[in-house]
Amino acid sequence: MKWRWLIAWFPALLGVALKLLGSSIWPENLPVLYLRGDAGTLALLGGILLSGLASAFLYLVQRAERQRRDDVAGVQTRTAEERRRFLRRLDHELKNPLTAIQAGLANVASTPLPAAQQAALESVRSQTLGLSRLSADLRKLAELETRPLERTLVDMAELLGEVVEITRERPEAAERELTLTVPQAPWPLPEVNGDPDLLFLAVHNLLTNAVKFTQPGNRIEVRAFEDSAVIVVKVADTGPGIPEVEISHVWEELYRGQGARGIPGSGLGLALVRAIAERHGGRVGLRSREGQGTVFTIRLPIA
Amino acid sequence: MVKVLLVDDERAITDNLAPFVERAGFAVDVAVDGKDALSKAASFTPELIVSDILMPRLDGREMLRRLRQAGDWTPVILLTQVGESTERAMALEEGADDYLNKPFDPHELVARIRAVLRRARPGKPPLAAAQRLACGNLVLDRQSRRAYVGSREANLTPKAVALLEYMMTHPDELLTRDRLLDTVWGWDYPAGTRTVDTRIAELRRVLGDDPADPQYIETAPGQGYRFVALVEATS
Repeated sequence: MKWRWLIAWFPALLGVALKLLGSSIWPENLPVLYLRGDAGTLALLGGILLSGLASAFLYLVQRAERQRRDDVAGVQTRTAEERRRFLRRLDHELKNPLTAIQAGLANVASTPLPAAQQAALESVRSQTLGLSRLSADLRKLAELETRPLERTLVDMAELLGEVVEITRERPEAAERELTLTVPQAPWPLPEVNGDPDLLFLAVHNLLTNAVKFTQPGNRIEVRAFEDSAVIVVKVADTGPGIPEVEISHVWEELYRGQGARGIPGSGLGLALVRAIAERHGGRVGLRSREGQGTVFTIRLPIA
Repeated sequence: MVKVLLVDDERAITDNLAPFVERAGFAVDVAVDGKDALSKAASFTPELIVSDILMPRLDGREMLRRLRQAGDWTPVILLTQVGESTERAMALEEGADDYLNKPFDPHELVARIRAVLRRARPGKPPLAAAQRLACGNLVLDRQSRRAYVGSREANLTPKAVALLEYMMTHPDELLTRDRLLDTVWGWDYPAGTRTVDTRIAELRRVLGDDPADPQYIETAPGQGYRFVALVEATS
């Protein structure tokens, strides 16, 4: 940005230089100009005029650019807000019917049923539970936006250790090589000022995804390190990777990629991870290559 | 038969819930909003009220407030549903005996009804309505959200205070980890066990409670926790 202004003011500077040096460059009252007054003054006035015009032009251009940027940002914020409002309403509309359905199912289940009907009832019940979980996740997302963070100093190394340990114990994680790398030298990982339960949930969601989308024999690596004023947590896997067209969508609420078909989940896990990172003043990122694997990143400011 | 009043403006809920609660051995009447509930509370004289919060005409919270202002200490279980943890905190503050997040398992509702009835002291305010709770030399000031052990203030995180508050207002009741997560945290966590256990450990450490010989919090192995000390309301 700055250089544009320098160029705009160049004619004026040139004018000043010509005015100062004028008499030594050309003879007094240069006849070719056919104008009264000395060439140096003319160059100065001309330079200032040109610079003035260039500055006015630049100012208008920059204002238009800023306006456009603000419009885009405004639309993005509004869209995000509208989406959240929509999700809250959706959650609200789900809760009452789900309460009624659960009570209705309990009534039906209280009398003995023939086997076929019993199976149907079980199926309806498990679907209802799935919807209840979706409703619970929607509530988490809505609460994340509004409730105050309960901040304490969190030892991320310890937290990561616990998440990895819990994940290792899960039967689905069997036969994956799951490793955790946390630096000890030259000093241990610094603390993060945050809500330990939420940070736990964020890392847990990433690891759960890694387990869900990999096969036995795949590697899952959890790495954490310090990078100037942030802690970087990476969860990398040698799974199937995410198609390029899907990468920009995976953080969206209720988005389910092609590869997620047939894999249980609410479609809110990564949206929660992003919301948690952002509430902590951090960011999320993702790199993936189809057929090679994926690495998710959470960056959190150091306490 | 113990009488229970169900209050919800959603017919689908009361239509399905009423027979379930009846089958569990209670006499049930239904009210469609807060106003209706207040008049049924007078005519049906329930021993317990289960009420939704968001309702037309008079909402559940206002209904509860008017009931308590009139000196009516009929136990109330609120069915919270707005996705805000503050609603749960308020439910306890305003003298609700317990609260349950929608949607819920109806068996859980019946279990709560039984627990609240067991704890209820007819005609007297419940512990949930007290400003200060005392238990030996442990005092919890619910207004200021501070806990004291003897004359020393206990240095607790806000979540630990909320957990202690819920445990002290539900003494001698088996509190499963799931229930504590649902009521105190407001949502289930993937590794909820750890989340609850960490805060219980914090409480025990600060209160100087030995898990092997508990004065306050007893572990029910494989199930959850129980606040075993006698809790009294003080002013």
